[in-house]
Amino acid sequence: MIELKGLGKTYSQGVHPVVALENVTLSIGPGEFVAVMGPSGSGKSTLMNLLGCLDTATSGSYILDGVDVTRLGDGELAAVRNKKIGFVFQAFNLLPRMTALRNVELPMLYAGVTPGERRERALKALEVVGLAARVHHRPSQLSGGQVQRVAIARAMVNQPVILLADEPTGNLDSRSGGEIMSIFQELNRKGATIVLVTHEREIALHASRILHFRDGRLTDDEKNQAPHQAALISVPGPQPDSREVASP
Amino acid sequence: MNMLESIRVALEGIAANKLRSFLTTLGIVIGIAAVIAVVAVGQAGRALLMSEMEKVGTNIFAVMVNWRSGESFTGREFALQDAEIIKSRVPEVSHLSPLSSTVADVRGTRKNRSAQVFGASGDLVHIRKFNLKSGHFFSAEDDQGRRRVAVLDQELAEDLFGRADPVGQKLVIKNTPFLVVGVIAKGDSVLGFGESPKIYIPVQVWQYIFSPYVSYLEGSAASREQVDTALSQTIKVLERRHQAAGRYNGVSMEQQMQTANKVTGVMTLVISAIAGISLLVGGIGVMNIMLVSVTERTREIGIRMALGARRRDILVQFLIEAVVLCLLGGIIGMSLGIGGALLIAKLAKWPPLVSWWTVLVAFAFSAAIGVFFGILPANKAARLNPIEALRRD
Repeated sequence: MIELKGLGKTYSQGVHPVVALENVTLSIGPGEFVAVMGPSGSGKSTLMNLLGCLDTATSGSYILDGVDVTRLGDGELAAVRNKKIGFVFQAFNLLPRMTALRNVELPMLYAGVTPGERRERALKALEVVGLAARVHHRPSQLSGGQVQRVAIARAMVNQPVILLADEPTGNLDSRSGGEIMSIFQELNRKGATIVLVTHEREIALHASRILHFRDGRLTDDEKNQAPHQAALISVPGPQPDSREVASP
Repeated sequence: MNMLESIRVALEGIAANKLRSFLTTLGIVIGIAAVIAVVAVGQAGRALLMSEMEKVGTNIFAVMVNWRSGESFTGREFALQDAEIIKSRVPEVSHLSPLSSTVADVRGTRKNRSAQVFGASGDLVHIRKFNLKSGHFFSAEDDQGRRRVAVLDQELAEDLFGRADPVGQKLVIKNTPFLVVGVIAKGDSVLGFGESPKIYIPVQVWQYIFSPYVSYLEGSAASREQVDTALSQTIKVLERRHQAAGRYNGVSMEQQMQTANKVTGVMTLVISAIAGISLLVGGIGVMNIMLVSVTERTREIGIRMALGARRRDILVQFLIEAVVLCLLGGIIGMSLGIGGALLIAKLAKWPPLVSWWTVLVAFAFSAAIGVFFGILPANKAARLNPIEALRRD
């Protein structure tokens, strides 16, 4: 599914080039739930950007779903992001003026899906994350946990080959965070491949494999035999206590 | 991305910042309104001028002395017989009259005043298409017989004789008594042709009373198409008869109309161009606000890129926003411009004239402004680095 060989990224800002990622070689198979851990500056964000095709590597190769994406141009990378990758961000990154439904429809817009099918698939995706009753709410009318669930629906709606989550619980209280983790585990059980970046071991332990990064290098590839099971609370279904204060 | 969706997003953005959007488009609104009003008024004015000139007659022409030759006026430039001879030799000329004019004191039964006194032949009534309110115009026989008969216009008649019909009354011009034989009805000209008080008397009588010369010839051709030939042939005959090449100069209504057409066209163009400067300023305003919008929505751009928007999608989206903004301004400006033009037409009692192509051009032009001034901000948006854009607040 993901095949990295000697992947590296060097920023040539100013006089001194900065090595953000160096010689990363690893492979992630379909259906894996991988956590990426490391302190800030360890290169995990750079890895995330490279995996997400938001950035291009300066050395090595990255084969995603059989395609060497290091050789692709801007337009093709956009298509890869659209069809093969789903993003979940720490800051949620929903468009504030749009309803949950339209936010989830967004990736399909760029995929050229017809309006009728867009709506149908978006509704289904929102139902999967337990927000069928909130499709016409704007992000400001939803709690932080609900907003992140909309973001997960948006990430999954184009049926990507990989789901990339960058500190998805970082802006949430532990209860909402637990909900999000349980959704990820549920998606993973149904076959989704997930790469999750976090600096919290608690969160990382929900994954079955933990990659440790330090100073731009992959330092450890840890197997987690018994992943923490997030309590599956009331997902899907209506939320009895749905209004929490969304963290900024 | 889908065009309709882009338009929807653009409209939502505009609705979210109503005041800002309105102020931004104000330049476009004013520019389009001004251009439409100017063009409409210009066209109405031109159409009015043309219809007035057509009323006077599109087939008429005049021949006068070419003063550029530097010679002084001798009074022998035209002979009394010229008109009849030219008529017999040039088939294109259907009517031709010698004309002399001066200002003289005129006395009627009620009062006396000064008026312009014309000497003409009986042909003048056909050339000018005079509409007689009462009586008749004098004839060739009146002229040959040097009969002291006069035809005056309605306004002067009312001035000199009051409300009573002056036909059959006596009129004194420069101490010579005349018999009033006709009154010319007031024209419905808006532009004021033929407004000053005028009296027409047979040219031979005029020469007898005032001085023995003819100022110019006025004639009409059989048709509008034959005016040019009639005019040039008339001049040719005159030059031969008086052995004076280059001494005569002709002007036809056709030429005058073309000139007037050109002048009003150029004037409209110049004023439109000045009004168009407002469009330029408006366009810069749109560009400015679009640049602000791109900065404000950097994060949105990053999100869209992460979700698979190509740079082209972002470019098109912001271009559409600029175009929608300009088109809204254009539509408001169009309504204001058309309203203004109709109001002016109503106040000036002109026929209302807003042509569909003006509206079409204004519409296309505001869209073009959107594209032209939107391309820079849209390009800026499309060139953003998605990672940096996502990091921005």
